[in-house]
This record gives sequence, C-alpha cells and structure tokens, in this order.
Amino acid sequence: MSDRRPRVVGFCCERHASDSATLAARSGKEWDASVRTVTVPCSGRVDGLMLLRAFEDGADAVFVVGCLEKNCYYDTGSIEGRKRVENVKSMLADLGIEKERIEMFNAASTNPWAFPQAANKMAEVARRLGPLESGGESK
Amino acid sequence: MIVAKRKPIADIAAMVEPYKKVAVIGCRSCVAICLAGGEKEVKTTVSALKVRNRRDGRQQKFEALVVERQCEKEWVKEVEETVKSADLVLSMACSLGAQTIADMYPERIVFPGLDTGFFGVPEEQGVWTEKCVGCGNCIIHLTGGICPVARCAKSMMNGPCGGSSNGHCEVNLDIDCAWYAIHERLRLQKRLDLIEKVMPPKDWSTAHHGGRRTYVKEEARLTQHQKKGRERAK
Amino acid sequence: MTGTIQVVICRCCVEKPALIDLARLEAVAAETELVSSVVISEAVCDGKGATDVAKDAQAKDGDRAVVVACDKKDFDPALLRAYRRAGIDELMVEFLNMREGVVLPHARDNERAQAKAETMLRAALKRAMMLKPLEMETEEMRTRNVVIVGAGVAGRAAAETAARAGMHTILIEKGDRSFKAPGVLMTRAKVVGGKGYPGNYVLTIKAGEKVEELECAAVVVATGGGWTTLKGPLAKACKEAIPLYRLHEQVTAGAVPKGPIVIADTPDPSGKSLRVMDFAWEEALETAISLKRTHPQTDVTMVFQEMRAFGLSELAYKEAADMGIRFVRYDKSGAPKIDSKDPTKLTVKDLAQGELLTLSFGTLAFASLPANPDNKDIADALRIPMTPEGAMRRGSIQRWPVSTPRPGIYVCGSALFPKTAEVAKAEGEAAGAMAARFAISGTISFGGVVAEVTQEKCSACLTCVRTCPFEAPFIGKASKVEIRKQLCQGCGMCAGACPSKAIDLLHFTDDQVREQSRVLLGGDF
Repeated sequence: MSDRRPRVVGFCCERHASDSATLAARSGKEWDASVRTVTVPCSGRVDGLMLLRAFEDGADAVFVVGCLEKNCYYDTGSIEGRKRVENVKSMLADLGIEKERIEMFNAASTNPWAFPQAANKMAEVARRLGPLESGGESK
Repeated sequence: MIVAKRKPIADIAAMVEPYKKVAVIGCRSCVAICLAGGEKEVKTTVSALKVRNRRDGRQQKFEALVVERQCEKEWVKEVEETVKSADLVLSMACSLGAQTIADMYPERIVFPGLDTGFFGVPEEQGVWTEKCVGCGNCIIHLTGGICPVARCAKSMMNGPCGGSSNGHCEVNLDIDCAWYAIHERLRLQKRLDLIEKVMPPKDWSTAHHGGRRTYVKEEARLTQHQKKGRERAK
Repeated sequence: MTGTIQVVICRCCVEKPALIDLARLEAVAAETELVSSVVISEAVCDGKGATDVAKDAQAKDGDRAVVVACDKKDFDPALLRAYRRAGIDELMVEFLNMREGVVLPHARDNERAQAKAETMLRAALKRAMMLKPLEMETEEMRTRNVVIVGAGVAGRAAAETAARAGMHTILIEKGDRSFKAPGVLMTRAKVVGGKGYPGNYVLTIKAGEKVEELECAAVVVATGGGWTTLKGPLAKACKEAIPLYRLHEQVTAGAVPKGPIVIADTPDPSGKSLRVMDFAWEEALETAISLKRTHPQTDVTMVFQEMRAFGLSELAYKEAADMGIRFVRYDKSGAPKIDSKDPTKLTVKDLAQGELLTLSFGTLAFASLPANPDNKDIADALRIPMTPEGAMRRGSIQRWPVSTPRPGIYVCGSALFPKTAEVAKAEGEAAGAMAARFAISGTISFGGVVAEVTQEKCSACLTCVRTCPFEAPFIGKASKVEIRKQLCQGCGMCAGACPSKAIDLLHFTDDQVREQSRVLLGGDF
C-alpha cells in the first residue's frame, strides 16, 4: 500500500453517462474525490490510444461510461466504446498489468446509482492495487 | 492486400527492452487498412510500451511515425534521420517494409513489429481471409473465379476429395470445401463441363517453391542513359 | 490567434452548500494566462446576471469564456443569447459543472474537494484555450413539408398541430380509412425508403402499386402499437382479450366493461416473444382506479410479476389497494394460464398466498403489447435506432421524449410503447409542434461539432464508412473520405476507429481530449 493517493480518470459520454452523473449528485449520492472525469460526446469517441495515454499521464485506473448498449443515443457508440476498452484491457493483461485497472460501464440517464458505483469501484481498485508504478508483475 | 497482425505486445516489449532510443515506423498502405500498423496502431503500441515503462520505472525514448509505403525506397528515405538516430527501428509495416529499411541501412538494427500473414480480403469489417497464395499461374478462369490453390486445404487441382462433407472441409468443419463451392459456382454459370476436364498436376516452379521470384517489366526499366540523366539532375 | 478568456463563477452553484473556497478559484483563474477577467455572478445559471456577464465580455473583447456553475443542459438560454450578442459563439463557451461535479458529491471531503475543484478549473481553462471557432454552414430547406406516418390518434394530432403552425402536412396511412385531415392524406400508402438529411429528407412512398418520392423537412412517426399481432399463450387462448388502452377508452366513454375485470401484465408471461413494457404498471393502475371510481361494484384484479409504480404512481398503488383492487403477484413457477376447460377462467399461483387461484373474468386486458412490426420497416427506411422490443428509440426519456436521435424525425404514441388515447394525442401534439418548429425556419444549419478529414492521411480503408451509423462518411473524389456534414451527428466514433488518424472530431479533437485528461491527472489529489 502506497502513501500516494489514487488517481482515477473516467471518460463519460455527454448523453446518458453525464445525465446519470448529474442525477446522482442531485440525488445526494457521493463518490470518491480521487475520480476526475473528461466529457466526450459519445463513449465511441474514446480510442485505445486515449485510454493508454491516461495511464501514461499518471492514472492508476481508467474507466469509460457510456449509454446502455440497447439505448445509446448514437445507436452503436457504447458498443464501440466497450470494444476499445476490451482491447486495452487485453493489452495491459499481456504486459502483466492488472486488467481491473481499466473498465467499461453503462448507465441509463434515469439511474442515480450507476455512476457513483462505477466511480467508487474504480477508486477502490486503484487503492487496492496501488499506484501503477507498483502494479502487476513485470512482463 | 497484404494482411498482417501485430506481434503479441509482450513479445514486442521484450524485443525492444534493451534499447534506449526506439523509432517505431508504420505504413499507410496495406497494414493501415488491415488495422495492424497504421498511425493509430503505431502510437497505441508506443503508448502501451510507455505505460509498461511507467510501471517498471524504465527510461526509454520513443519516436512514432508512418510513411506512405514502407516498401518504397523514396518514402523510407524521407525518414532517414529518424532511422539513423535511433538505437532500434521497430517496423510496424509488413516484412517488406521492415526489410526495405534493413536493406537500405544495413548497419541499423531493424526489428519486425508485425507478423506478416497472407494475401487476403476483408470478409467483413475486422475479419480477413486468405484467398491467394501467389502461385504465379492463376487458373481461376477454369474454376469459376474460386482459387483451389489457396482455398482448398490440399490445393487440389481436381477436387473435391473424399473428405468433403456437406460443403465443408474435413480438416476443419468451419472451412468451406473450395471444390464444392467451385462446383456450385460452375453450375450457376452453366459451365460444369469444366469440372469434367482433368487438370494436370500443378507446376509449382512459378510459385515460391521454385525459389525467390522476380518479375521484370522491361518497358519500365530505366536504361543506363536514363539513370545517368537522373544522377546529373540531382 | 487565441482570444482572451472571460471566467464566470456562479455563487449559486459553487457556494451552496459551503464547501469550495471561491476566492481561491478566483485566484487560480486570475493567474492563468489569457484570462481577461473573472466575474462573480449571483445566479448566472438562472439567467440573472447574464446581462452583466455579457457587458463585461463585450468590454474585454475576448472570444471565449469558462463558466463555472452547474450542468450546462439546465442553463437558462438567456446566458448563451447574451454571449452571442457580445460576440462569443456558443461553442466557445466552456461550461464547468462544479456543482454536480464537486460541491454535491464531495460534500464531506473538504480538503480533496478544493484540490479537485482547482484542477478541474485549470483543465477547463486549458480546454478553452484550445477551442477553435467553428464555422456553421446553412442550406435552404427545399420544402416546408412535414410527413406524418400513421393516421391514428397520435398521427392526426401531430398533423393538426403542425398544420396550425403553417406547415404543409402529409399524412401517410397504410389502411384505407378516410377522414378529414389538414393538408394531404394518402391512404393505402407506406414508407418504404428514405434518404437525405434533416430539413431535406426524401421519402419513398408506396401507394398501392405506385412508388413516388416525397420531399419533406421533418417526419413524425406515429405508427402505433401492434394489436393485431398479439402473441403469447394467453392471447391465443383467450381471443376476446383486449389491450389495456381499449379498456381505458371504454371506461372513459362511460361504457360498462363486462365484469369481473382482470388486468394481466403481459399475454406472454414467459417473456419469450414480449417483455413487460416499462409503463405497463402506471397505465394499469390509472385505468383500474378510474374503473373502480365509476363502477365500485365491479371486481378488479391485477395479475403482475412485479408492481413497479415509479414516482407519484406509488400513491396510485396505495389508492388502488384502498379501493379494493386486488393484486396477485406471480412468478414463472405459477404463471397465469387460461383454463383449458373454461376460457372465462384464469389460473395463477399467488406468491403471497402460496396457492393456486382461479379467477373468473368477464373482461381480460393486457397491459403490454408487442411493437408494430411495421416499425421495423420504418426504422430501416429512415435509419432510426430501435429498442430491443421493436419500438422506436427516443433521444432521451427526460429531455427529448418525442424526438429520435435523428434530428428532424420525431416519434409519438404507441410506436414508443402502448398508451391510452389521451396520452397518445398529447404526444402527437408535442411531436407535431416540434416538427413544425424545426421546419419553420426554412434553413438548415450544420457543421460545428462534426468530423473532419485530413485527406492526405486517409488510407481509404473504409473503416469509418462501415462504422458510422449515420452514413456521414463516404469515399468521394480522389478516392479519399469526405464527410456529409448534414448527416454527421458529432459522436466521433469514426475518429476513434480510423487506423490512420485521418479523421478527428472538431471541438473534441484528440489533442483537446488528451490535454484535458492530462491536466486533470496532473493536479493535487
């Protein structure tokens, strides 16, 4: 366990993900202040390069939140987002880095607990696994 | 087009580890189109290696770029400075590109970042299948446009064999039997008489089996006079 | 040349509840290069102070702003109008949601909340610095036609509303009912294809044997529910069963439905061909209560797998129970069946009682209906995303209840989910009004947040063409990709997929997104 606080960044879509985060806050939900978010128009905007660069820039855990796949505002955006996240996950795993450090979540705009659950889960992962510098086995 | 895929990232990481300054060079042609070595894949690979280095506390410098077509000397020449100043060049083009850089700069260390596979077509987005093995003597006019050399597991000239089962190959039930497909295609085209013609055993000397091949188009070759002219113009 | 940035901090959003040290935020902004002024406003989210903000912006002559407040979607449009008058384009205003991003969720984490707030402000300022003014283009709408597909309750309401707003309406109806309608009514007609873009759609209509093309500015889809194709074992066994909205119509008209009444959640308890609709419970409760009020002697039983009355409908649940409406909850171990010997009896295992009940009924109503199979044809023709149940997808349940994700195409009535006639009519009026409002300007404006191609980098690999659900990218002249800006929705899927990094999404470029992420990760945690 390191003294350094965990650093988590989440990429949230401007549609259901952002709406659900706003609803969560207004419903009195709280989440870990270790989590910062970047808004993108659609989770399908996010590509593997963006996610890996977040790790380069100091993130200990990274996540993406998009609309429910059956209800994505841009039809197939969150499906694309998931594929990109899965690709990075398998790359990290091949490099001996814990694949829990990256995750895809889906939220409905009317769901006040989906976003806090995602944010808190990733903060917990970052805490438990420690900063990336200490993570996994060298491969 | 040429279809390749990136080597397992862990293999690449091990290959480049001993080198302090690595230039990762991709290509905008075939490997970009089969989503293995274009600018995005090059940058993504570099980023993954940097993340690994952050985890391991390793210092390494990376440069990431692409050239238009890595098998052409003129385009490789454009990145000569990068090639010469790097400890290692990791080519993310097909082996043709990697070898071009290696042949042009024999004293530089050049490693392949991709495994070059085959001549293939995109069956659907993200899926490429082999349809030609470059045998050098194309006979698909006799087989309804379907190549038995590439698509039949035994490269038979007169199929199907006894293992053909419900239109599938006995080697792997997921693979279609090429000769079943050829038969159905010729039936559709009302050219089943071609099936009855027996094709002689294949002369493999035009394929790679006969050794490394070279094609020459005399009309395009520059004569000594032309080459001298270019030298003078430089 | 990047212009100077005006920073506005809204007290209402940042100081209630007290958590963030606003003065420190002000200091962070003031020390940042290119910031021309920091305006503290009482409640800019409410539109108050918009004039002062605009005056300051005009005086400082900057071209961009960062507004530290709440969710931009809930802002009073007065602020953006004021900015526009002051010469600051909407896309050059960066909204930072401090309230829902920090003040509310980290209310008990003082120290870390402040660090996060300051870092977020720095990231927003960096993003504002990287914003580029974006050109919008305009095109004339070729017609002011509004096409309404389906002449049921919702469709007719949409047509009336759009016509009242001055639009030329064309009602397309697959049946041959004839009735008075504004504009044009085409009977025995179906939409079989469509192309074009919002404001200039071209629909292919098949009327009898004739096929013709119809240009329009906007489309309202009112194709209704699929009563005639009701599937499921209960519907098959009881041919006289009716949809819930039919029961509601009877009650409203003062008719006496034959009692006892049983309202079942779905004709297919196994869920194989039909899932229970989202709004089945609310509609069922309202109908049962109306029924009991007018016919207190009639026995009413509701047979459901679960009673999910949301929001204020919870009160209806209590009211219904108090009126003597019986609730029978079942699960797959004892799903309702029509008695094979007596089709006026329904057997079901009541989970509360733990025993098999036999319910006699005079009227059996189903709260869930399958979607109209025609919906798939319309959705394919107009390229509207569908829900897994086969209904049209809405843009957003909360903000855009009668819009589809495709601009200029609206949807109302049972095409979304089964509902009563009054609700369908209200939705039709809303959709008609929105279609009219869209078409009334006569001009289409597009551009802004759209994909942009650097053609020299394009490998013509077709990845973007295959990935885009809106058909915006295409291989144009010189065999390189071009973007049909009128169709581009600004989602950026193509930018994420392009193997040669030839496409970027304006306003959310790779560099802009990366910088924001980098600054956010760089601050104190």
